Amino acid sequence: MTRPAALGKHLARLWGLVLLAGVVSLAWQLRDGLPSDTRLTALLPQDRQNPLLERADARLGRAFEDRFVLLLDAPALPRATADLAERLSAADGGRLLTRLDWRDVDFADSDPAAVLGPYRYRLLTPSLRQAIEQDGGTSLVQPALARLFSPGGDPEPVADPFGLLDRWLAQQDDSPVSSWQGLLTVRDRDGTRRSLLIGRLADTPYAPSAQQALTRALRAFEAAHPDARLLHSGLIFHAAAGARQARHEITTIGLGAFLALIVILLAVFRSPRTLLALLLPLAGGLLVATPLTLALFGRLHLLTLAFGASLIGVAIDYALHLQCERAVQGRRFHLRPLLPGLALGLVSSLAAYLALALAPMPGLRQMALFAAAGLAGAWLTGVLWLPRLALPVHPATARIAARWWSLTTPRRTLAPGWLAVVALILLGVIAWRLTADDSLRLLNPSSSAQLAEERQVQSLLGRDTGSRYFLVTADDEPALLERLATLGQRLDTASADGLTIGYRNLADRVPPPRMQDANLAAVRRLYGEPLATLVERAGLPGSVIDKARATLDSVPRLDVATWLDAPAGTADRRLWLGPVTTDDGTTRLAATLVLNGVDSAAEGRRLAAIADALPGVRYVDRVARLSHLLGELRRHVSLWVGLALALLTAGLVLRYRRQAWRVVTPALGALLGTLAVYAIAGVPLNVFSQLGMLLVLGIGLDAGIFSAEHARRPATWLAVSLSTLTSVLAFGLLAFSATPALHYLGLTCLIGLTLVGLLVPWVRPAPPRIKERPHGEH
Amino acid sequence: MRLFVLLMLGLLSSPALAFDLADLQHRLGATQGLSGRFVQTRHLADLDTDLESRGHFTYQRGKRVVWALEQPVEDRQVFTPADARAADDAPGDTGSDRRRRQIAALLLNLLDGDWQALERRFSLTLSGDATAWQVALAPRQAALRERLAGVTLAGGRYVERLRLETADGDTLTVRFSDLQPLAGSDP
Repeated sequence: MTRPAALGKHLARLWGLVLLAGVVSLAWQLRDGLPSDTRLTALLPQDRQNPLLERADARLGRAFEDRFVLLLDAPALPRATADLAERLSAADGGRLLTRLDWRDVDFADSDPAAVLGPYRYRLLTPSLRQAIEQDGGTSLVQPALARLFSPGGDPEPVADPFGLLDRWLAQQDDSPVSSWQGLLTVRDRDGTRRSLLIGRLADTPYAPSAQQALTRALRAFEAAHPDARLLHSGLIFHAAAGARQARHEITTIGLGAFLALIVILLAVFRSPRTLLALLLPLAGGLLVATPLTLALFGRLHLLTLAFGASLIGVAIDYALHLQCERAVQGRRFHLRPLLPGLALGLVSSLAAYLALALAPMPGLRQMALFAAAGLAGAWLTGVLWLPRLALPVHPATARIAARWWSLTTPRRTLAPGWLAVVALILLGVIAWRLTADDSLRLLNPSSSAQLAEERQVQSLLGRDTGSRYFLVTADDEPALLERLATLGQRLDTASADGLTIGYRNLADRVPPPRMQDANLAAVRRLYGEPLATLVERAGLPGSVIDKARATLDSVPRLDVATWLDAPAGTADRRLWLGPVTTDDGTTRLAATLVLNGVDSAAEGRRLAAIADALPGVRYVDRVARLSHLLGELRRHVSLWVGLALALLTAGLVLRYRRQAWRVVTPALGALLGTLAVYAIAGVPLNVFSQLGMLLVLGIGLDAGIFSAEHARRPATWLAVSLSTLTSVLAFGLLAFSATPALHYLGLTCLIGLTLVGLLVPWVRPAPPRIKERPHGEH
Repeated sequence: MRLFVLLMLGLLSSPALAFDLADLQHRLGATQGLSGRFVQTRHLADLDTDLESRGHFTYQRGKRVVWALEQPVEDRQVFTPADARAADDAPGDTGSDRRRRQIAALLLNLLDGDWQALERRFSLTLSGDATAWQVALAPRQAALRERLAGVTLAGGRYVERLRLETADGDTLTVRFSDLQPLAGSDP
């Protein structure tokens, strides 16, 4: 006995050093606060099949990330707007924003004509081109004359006698924003005028300091202007609401669960010291998991934290088993007989979590690693340290164990045959009715009111969200612009045929070279007879004709780079992907054509058909694509967990032989039961309810293994009951979370773990001949 | 230079710049309607040429402004409050329609006495007396200064002359004559 004891002592010391190292590295990693990530989309898999799509998505999404838009409706609009702008600019000591546009002059600081002037003879609106085609441009003389003599015109008889550039710019300007009393304003269909403020954040929208500074500034403004109404749009508002909700739930659900847990454990063990000792493995688990995850991933995801904090439920299992055993056995307590059960419990849970790590989702991998490392750390802490701690044993614990045992032991035992029949029926129900839901709504913690407000702002501003687009590739720029232009024509044809969509096309801004050449040729026609007529009727000197014609001698072609550099073109930068490497390794150019107003599946199919008919064009529905990926992920998770379960069952059969069904029934029964409940209630399955199943599986297997290893011992049953109850508190209460992801995780745990608790008494091995007498009972 | 139209029409009956010449302010602001003739001369510096046009106009407060060119080309522009209202909520508009409506909106803001907008863009200097006054408007924003050097208005009972100088040396001068308050609208 001395040698293992000495070995245990050494190991315990060594483990102490490991945990100390964990403390030191964690302290170093947290020196600037916890690097956390609240983006739920960070959980999504990288689309390995199509990095180009990834890039297009990122490009279209990023354009909006650091911006936010406020629409203000207030009685004294100019004054209220100025006050709001002042508060925003001053927020966080002036460090919140790098830019705020709210006056009409904020947009008037560059003259588009200055940049596009030289190219104007190659840029013709369709109506001008048509007019020249019809009669050589004679019909354009009269409007040009009117323009020359109108007081409002800005005539340039030499540079642009027909006002081509003005017409071009007017066509490009499709913004619903207008200037009013020095403000930027938009009006809705009811005529309500709102002022527009566009802010650009200095920090990322996920930075808590930026979220708080913005929220404070807006609150102060709303307090000062009680009759003002604000519409918000921008990632930062969603991120802030998500963070606020998470904080709120941590303080209600989290704290509630924690308090209930402490009350229950105190009631059973009657010793605060024991309680602290029980939490020791949890601390050990976190001290291993957090530094390791931070070292490997750089930052912790919100969901990892939620999931990791919920690790309490599982990590505390081992400590509960040890302590219940100790309370009941008293001086006769030895660790050794418990070790096989504890080890099997750990291995089964680790297998379930590590199966997750095989999924191609960075977020899931992080969670799996966090859970597995935390579990291993908690297990080692429990096994190496707890038996060495002198803990008070209260006789009440043994009494409770005995009473709970007699109270819950069923009078009959269960035949495996019946179980198989029930399992088959449940499988039938599941196969018949269970549905799945992979919509992105699950990932979106924003309330529906918030999403509606976002949509309202986007539609008032006539903007797209970049979620549906065409991805167009070609070998060079002329070919790419040509393809975009052809696509635009097809869309126009479809629009004339009843398709109600809008789009923004780079080729409308930068026509393909062939069209630019054709435009120049048309302008040369216009500068023939019609120009002479105009000059003559206007009474301008004849020299104007030659001077004007001379401007057509060398007209540069407008290319994409020039347009994107122009102030008016910056908004189109998000459409341009530039050179990309395609699947077959060749380098091509790519651009997107972004759609808006696509709101039915039929429209989506029509757009996909348009894309299919054109070479190098692909229709992308980002939301549908991500949903598809989520679904794929869900199927991945089921597959891997199913495989892990099959392997585990095989392993358990090796150890328990004919009794193996007793070990797996709580876990499998709970899973089948939960799925059947979902099937009957019509709750669709999603990836987060599957994560919950994983937890149910881990805890259910632990319960089955302990029941089988330590058959019919009240101490074991008490430990299993406590561990199930603590897990229900830790995870199950998440069912009340308003975040869809956590809600489904929690709901599954609530149902599944309750079923585990109900099933365990029925599958205990048959009573042994000699009745075991718990210590403290007579 | 559309701003010019707004300026001009706005000031014809202008209910006060930030003048402290209360008399002028009152007199201009009291006009509910006005009609008359105009001669417009645009001097193009680089061609050293003048483009001259003439016509008539009518303004009815809160209803419409009609600017009718007679020579050398016939052209009639009407701005109404309806144009202004339609300025932003007509999604099917072509760009030029929409731009025109925005002009109408801004124009009517001016006519209805929204001088804040004007002062945001220009600094105003007043000289002379009630019978012969002159107002100089200098653009505040650099972006506007790049195109517009300055505006001067002069008049007595009503605005009589308006002169606009662009940054490239062109000038536009409008002289008003036969100014008549519309029947029933004079105080």
